[in-house]
Amino acid sequence: MNECILVVDDDPEIVNAIAITLEREGYRVRRACDGLQAVEACLDPAVKLILIDVMMPKLDGLSALLRIREKRNLPVIVLSAKSEDTDKILGLSMGADDYVTKPYNPQELIARVRSQLRRYTSLGDVNAERRQGLLVNGRLTYDPAGRVLRADGDEVKLTPTETKIVDLLFRHPGQIFPAEEIYRRVWNEDAYSCENTVMVHIRRIREKIELNPKEPDYIKVVWGIGYKMEQH
Amino acid sequence: MDTKWNSTKALAGFLAFFLGVTLVISSLGAVGNRLAWERDPSPRWETDWQNTAAFRDQVSQYLREFLTIGAGGEVDFYSGEYWEDYGGDVAVVQEEAARARWGFYPITEAVVVDRGTAEHEAEPDSSDSDPAKPEKEQDPDERYRNDKNVLYFIETAEGKTYTNTAGGRAFFLARAVSDYNFYLSFQDGRVSIVKDGKGLDVYGNGLYNEESQWFVPGYDNFPVSEDLEGVTVYMAARRIPQRYYGVDYKNGGTYYNSAFYSIAQSVEESQSFYRTQGLLLFIAMWCLVLWFALRKSTEPVNKKIASWTVRVWTEIRFLLVLCPLAAFLWTFTGYQSIYDIFFGWGNSFSEWGMAVLRLITMNVPALVVLFWFCWLIHNDHKYNPKEVRRSLLKPFLRGLRARDLKRPVEKRLSRRAALMILAVLLLGAETIYFLIIFTVFVGYPSWLLWTICFLPMLLLVWAAAAWARGNLSLAKDLGRLADQVEAVRAGDLERPLKLPEDADLRQTAESLNDIQAGMKAALEEQTRSERMKVELVSNVSHDLKTPLTSILSYAELLRQEEDLPPAAADYAKIIDQKAHRLKTMVEDVFEISRAAADQLPVHLERLDLGKLLRQTLADMDGPIQAGGLTFKVELPERAVMITADGRRLYRVFQNLLDNALRYALEGSRVYLSLKTMEGSAEASVRNTSHSELPEGVDFTARFVRGDASRTDGGSGLGLSIAKSFTEACGGSFRVETVADLFTAIVTFPVEEER
Repeated sequence: MNECILVVDDDPEIVNAIAITLEREGYRVRRACDGLQAVEACLDPAVKLILIDVMMPKLDGLSALLRIREKRNLPVIVLSAKSEDTDKILGLSMGADDYVTKPYNPQELIARVRSQLRRYTSLGDVNAERRQGLLVNGRLTYDPAGRVLRADGDEVKLTPTETKIVDLLFRHPGQIFPAEEIYRRVWNEDAYSCENTVMVHIRRIREKIELNPKEPDYIKVVWGIGYKMEQH
Repeated sequence: MDTKWNSTKALAGFLAFFLGVTLVISSLGAVGNRLAWERDPSPRWETDWQNTAAFRDQVSQYLREFLTIGAGGEVDFYSGEYWEDYGGDVAVVQEEAARARWGFYPITEAVVVDRGTAEHEAEPDSSDSDPAKPEKEQDPDERYRNDKNVLYFIETAEGKTYTNTAGGRAFFLARAVSDYNFYLSFQDGRVSIVKDGKGLDVYGNGLYNEESQWFVPGYDNFPVSEDLEGVTVYMAARRIPQRYYGVDYKNGGTYYNSAFYSIAQSVEESQSFYRTQGLLLFIAMWCLVLWFALRKSTEPVNKKIASWTVRVWTEIRFLLVLCPLAAFLWTFTGYQSIYDIFFGWGNSFSEWGMAVLRLITMNVPALVVLFWFCWLIHNDHKYNPKEVRRSLLKPFLRGLRARDLKRPVEKRLSRRAALMILAVLLLGAETIYFLIIFTVFVGYPSWLLWTICFLPMLLLVWAAAAWARGNLSLAKDLGRLADQVEAVRAGDLERPLKLPEDADLRQTAESLNDIQAGMKAALEEQTRSERMKVELVSNVSHDLKTPLTSILSYAELLRQEEDLPPAAADYAKIIDQKAHRLKTMVEDVFEISRAAADQLPVHLERLDLGKLLRQTLADMDGPIQAGGLTFKVELPERAVMITADGRRLYRVFQNLLDNALRYALEGSRVYLSLKTMEGSAEASVRNTSHSELPEGVDFTARFVRGDASRTDGGSGLGLSIAKSFTEACGGSFRVETVADLFTAIVTFPVEEER
């Protein structure tokens, strides 16, 4: 592997801590302290992914992100202490591929880095996959014909029930399904108070496909209404 | 027993009051009436009728007539011929004054009878040529003979005697005949009187004046006529006069000759009247004393009466008072008295007082009735508040007022102005109508009258119109002011109220605009400071998170070090745990401060609260299974639709369940229930606390926990966040504690099923 990752933060201790974590996973790390350094460092073709903080001196992370996007096409993960929805949406709409809030969970961070690298380096063209009839949603690719779900290119092993649930949600991305509906469609029975049963299965699916199952990106609960597949 | 005694006392007290007051009014009224009308005051306090002025007057009159007989003249005291000889003009004038002072009643009666007799007897004299009347020669004392109340003996200068008693001169000289106690003798031009064996001083200082009691000749300024030379008259008056009757069988008719009898009767009557009234007043006084002693216990009776009278309409009361008043005013005496009181300019003060007294006492029963009506009304007003009294007019007026109040204030004011204008116009029209009538009937227009009436009328109409116009514009401004106040109250701080420069309410409007501007400034300031507060918290939270990130990262790295001594590994673990807790707290503080500043973004949508609770339970299945508590869940099958932010509300119930898991007694049951009632949904989480719950603690306040040690994992913000989030979503949150039972209740209004 040995991909080079650019870590940008005005706090050197944080840069150091992230670097140690990443190096333990076998990545090479380049460091930068502000936006301008980051823009400069990204010109190094060895850099395959950027982890960048938002609030920095000289040039803030989001502005740097815009400049980097002009020069390179590579995955950028924003790492920020701003945890509000509006901040996340802003970051993602400025061209970030992922948004991780501080204080971060090291395992989750590594998982996200790995996921982004896989998608940028190992996987084929998204549009080509779509043409093949595959359903693509962020890191996930679902083949409805073969009923195969892949996360970052790796096939996810699902039980038949889980497959049915994934099939239902993937075919209707963004649509909210009440638990009863899911139960009726998957188990082919009417049921009341099936919330627990459905939730158990959804939790298992999350553990298999989500980077952080506690804060899922894909299968989400719409509180008081049902469940849905978030479209990325 | 006791109550019976009390009610007896009350009744007795009230009856005493009633009797006493009635008696006092009626007897005082009767006495007052008598005083006001009585012309001769002398018999009022006199027990002996012979001591009255009327008696003395009558005696003087008798003497006059006897002396006339003695002098040989005609007995016709109205001719006045004799009197000129008797005493001249002075005497006649004096007599007129005396007659006026004595009044008319006793004398008129006596005179009429006497005169009738005299005329009758004088008739044969006037027709002395009539041969059919043989008894032409009649004694001049003929008509006095029958009246034995007066015995007389007249001896003329020629020695002729007239008498009506067989006793002769000796009878009078003895002065001690039974039944007769008053003796008068006229001898040698002097009058001497003996009454009850005692001589009376007749002439006083010898000059006749208004204070002299006896109108008899013999004073220095009232000399005896020469005609009376040698005339002697004796007369005696009976102690107790009797009535003597006579019948004229020739011409028909009955007469009686009893001047003294009348005087005695009137004295007797007067005495019995005053005695009776005195007795009545005495009884009344004792009644009032009794009432005064019992006045405290009569209260229930008064109350009872008030409870009866409360049903009487106010209008009826008015009429009831008016009726006895009318009895005073709508009679001739009433008018006369009122005329005397207000227009009797020449009257002295005592006469004026008498006129007042006459008016007041003219109808004593009406006076009594009037008093009791007034008392009843007073009593009623004392015990019955204004609200419970009945009136025919009141509901009508109230209805009018209620209708009036429904209109905006400017309408009300302008309606009142219109009413005023209408009244003035009617008045003007009426005046002009009467002017026209006058012109038509008199036949020619009285230009002076027209001018006098028309010009002020014109002025009045003009003034009323000007007043109404001013009032209308004031009403309009007032309406705008009221609207503006309402608008400011509703939160409109943008548009100030602009009134014209000369408006009455200009100053007030300006003040209101100032208040509005002040409120706006205060609100902006408040909003700004809230925003600053949130920004501050946001910055602080960010600044806290940056070092926290380092701490957490290095703690994690430290944990991954394999060759640490076991103690150091433990320390690293503790640092990691506490740093995580710090992270939670920082996030919670941030959220709660945003909620407190109303800056919490909420995404409201229709959702099923029951489903949300099931999802929350399912989501937290892991911790619940691990918690060792039994969850008793009672959720309705059907949807309970509310409007809220699902994620926030999930956080609320997550916190509540967390709270239960954290603080509930090991192995106890946690009750989660959702109930709908009267348009609201109530979700409650109940658990038994593992530690004693302190009383009087607001668990929803920030950083408050059941135990004060703060060593457990909670931030102390769970319930506070739950409350803030619930309220941000439009629900209400409350905590109830009963002993160790902890209940958190979330209430939301239920959406109607669509």
